[in-house]
Amino acid sequence: MNSLVSRFSTTGPIAELRKAKEVLGDDDEFSDAVWGSEAGFGSLANGVPKFSIPQVPDPSAFLRLHTDDHSDPSCRIKIKHGTTTLAFRFQGGVIVAVDSRASAGSYVASGTVKKVIEINPYLLGTMAGGAADCQYWETYLGIQCRLHELRNRERISVAAASKYLSNLVYSYKGMGLSMGTMICGWDKTGPAVFYVDSDGTRLKGDLFSVGSGSTFAYGVLDQGYRWDLTDEEAQELGRRSIYAAGHRDAYSGNTINLYHVKEDGWKFIGNYDVSKMHYEGPNGVGYGYDIRTEGRSSANPPATQ
Amino acid sequence: MARRYDSRTTIFSPEGRLYQIEYAMEAISHAGTVLGVLAKDGIVLAAEKKVTGKLLDLSSVKEGGYGGSGEKIFLLNSNVVAGVAGITADANSLVNFARQAAQRHLYLYNEDIPVELLAQRLCDMKQGYTQYGGLRPFGVSLLYAGYDPHYNFQLYHSDPSGNYSGWKATCIGANNGTATSLLKQEYKDDITIEEAIKLVLSVMSKTMDSTTLGSEKLEFATLTLDPTTKKPKAKIYRPSEVDELLQEQGLAKKEEDDKSA
Amino acid sequence: MECSFAITGKGYVIVAADTTAAHSIIKVKLDEDKIKTLSPHLLMAYSGEPGDTVQFAEYIERNIRLYQIRNTYPLRPSSAASWIRRALADSLRSRKPYSVNLLLGGYDTSTYTPHLYWIDYLGTLTEVPFGAHGYGSYFALSLLDRYHDPEASLEEGLATLKRCIDEVSKRLLVAPGRYKVKVVDKDGVREVEI
Repeated sequence: MNSLVSRFSTTGPIAELRKAKEVLGDDDEFSDAVWGSEAGFGSLANGVPKFSIPQVPDPSAFLRLHTDDHSDPSCRIKIKHGTTTLAFRFQGGVIVAVDSRASAGSYVASGTVKKVIEINPYLLGTMAGGAADCQYWETYLGIQCRLHELRNRERISVAAASKYLSNLVYSYKGMGLSMGTMICGWDKTGPAVFYVDSDGTRLKGDLFSVGSGSTFAYGVLDQGYRWDLTDEEAQELGRRSIYAAGHRDAYSGNTINLYHVKEDGWKFIGNYDVSKMHYEGPNGVGYGYDIRTEGRSSANPPATQ
Repeated sequence: MARRYDSRTTIFSPEGRLYQIEYAMEAISHAGTVLGVLAKDGIVLAAEKKVTGKLLDLSSVKEGGYGGSGEKIFLLNSNVVAGVAGITADANSLVNFARQAAQRHLYLYNEDIPVELLAQRLCDMKQGYTQYGGLRPFGVSLLYAGYDPHYNFQLYHSDPSGNYSGWKATCIGANNGTATSLLKQEYKDDITIEEAIKLVLSVMSKTMDSTTLGSEKLEFATLTLDPTTKKPKAKIYRPSEVDELLQEQGLAKKEEDDKSA
Repeated sequence: MECSFAITGKGYVIVAADTTAAHSIIKVKLDEDKIKTLSPHLLMAYSGEPGDTVQFAEYIERNIRLYQIRNTYPLRPSSAASWIRRALADSLRSRKPYSVNLLLGGYDTSTYTPHLYWIDYLGTLTEVPFGAHGYGSYFALSLLDRYHDPEASLEEGLATLKRCIDEVSKRLLVAPGRYKVKVVDKDGVREVEI
């Protein structure tokens, strides 16, 4: 009975850990196979999700010991950190653009990562920090948003969805979660962008960029941003900004994924190869500095020469 | 009287002269003529080889290397060609020093050494031997034909005392007085490289002892700008090329001369 | 935090450096000039370890001047850059290396070409159309990839520099307040207001 009560209660992280230990200890009804077969949400039938946790006195310290490459560069597990993601609000909706590189330390683990998580047809979440953390919790957020819809007969607002995620990650604060995400969508208030991270920060704003390449993206984004951008201009700005980061930041690159959120939900605009953008651009004019300035010279010999 | 002051380079005579230096210069005035002419688009150097003989084996200088027979005209750096007059052994030592100096400049500054700077480097060394005791001066005068972006084409001359000077056209070695006065008459500003080649060869043919010119008596080099790269391009003529050039200019010896020579 | 930028344009190089001298959390001086004029057509912005910066810059300044006195003409920008790089590389392998980062902007009067060199304390030398040191570079480089024009007029060049400074002021938490801006072109070196 005790275990039954605790299983359905949602409390702080310490209680969560204790519960998890109990579950693993005396009633092991959720095997790893269950997790896989139910896309990671097998535990959902039993309320909040639970995890297999290392059988050590302090699991979060254990995690940190093996994943913190700042204090120990030779640590065995390098969590994906390098990324560039951006989202901005404008007259025509929200533009979301991300790169597709997954790096673990200096190793490029993948070049085809989907860093935009399609929470539902009206909500997008971006992925920066730990890939698994973002993927898992934003999918989980999608489930909660659907439940909200079923219970309240209306779509969840972007503000509410982002607040749900923010509260959720805050409850795990200090336990090693690593997420920096933008929850973007269109609700009754119009286009909306919220920045949420694993520290518990949640910010409403017009323009955000997250990840190791964000400074490079900001450099282009800030200079080209206006509220009254046309749809085409806005899409180009998002694409050009991610290219800038993909070009300058070693931990970002490969390809660009571009989304546009309008009143009737998000639309996937396209996937663009960063190298192709460098040499050819989206329509024949390369973004690359050398390509753009080819044949132009700063020399100024006198006219007689 | 002179004997008291001419055995050491470092001692002035009561008249204020350094005899060893003067003797060195005298030695040079008997050496093979070296002639240089500065044109607006390049420089020409020509040198007369003094000691030749039928038995001297020249087979090794026909092919390979950077051209020339390596007796009077040397490539000091990709932008400087030098002609030497005087004691050949001393000249070899100076050429080696000059090449090292040019490489040292390249190492430090990542550019070809400016021509005047290279002349200065050699002159600093030459001057040292007029001052430090127990050593004799270098018995060599040099003509430097070079290019750098500061002053474009330049022609310098340096003597055993360590003096150097820049010229439009000049001559060292035997008969230099005759050659210089000829050059004075014939030289015009804005002369082209083709005209300069003609001028040099005509002066050489007049001042050299032998009546006809040939590759066994003449070394020849030009320094121009490569039309595509705009970088200096030194060409030191191979013996066969020298003969070809003389043929073109109508200065080559005739068949029967060849047999009699 | 220290920031320096430099950009080339049609016949000129603009070099800009912040003017703050900091010690721990204190701004000790607000109008420090961190750009030296090495020769009539050569500018050098320096940043890095306090103490090292000025010592090294003066050492370079005196040696470049000495070359000019000895040889009547000054070193060309490319040669000066090579020499300075060598000085840093030799220093790096000494008992007490200089920790100084440089932007060297010059106008080569013999080829009528402006040159800009990016040099770091490790002795890395590279010629660039624009360059930056410090945290500002993280914002400015992508911006300049997008907006820099090698044929820009001085007015356009200064406007692009202004974009960089504004962007850094907007996004960098520890952005410097003021910058000194100098230009080198065929007429020599001069300071401009921005």
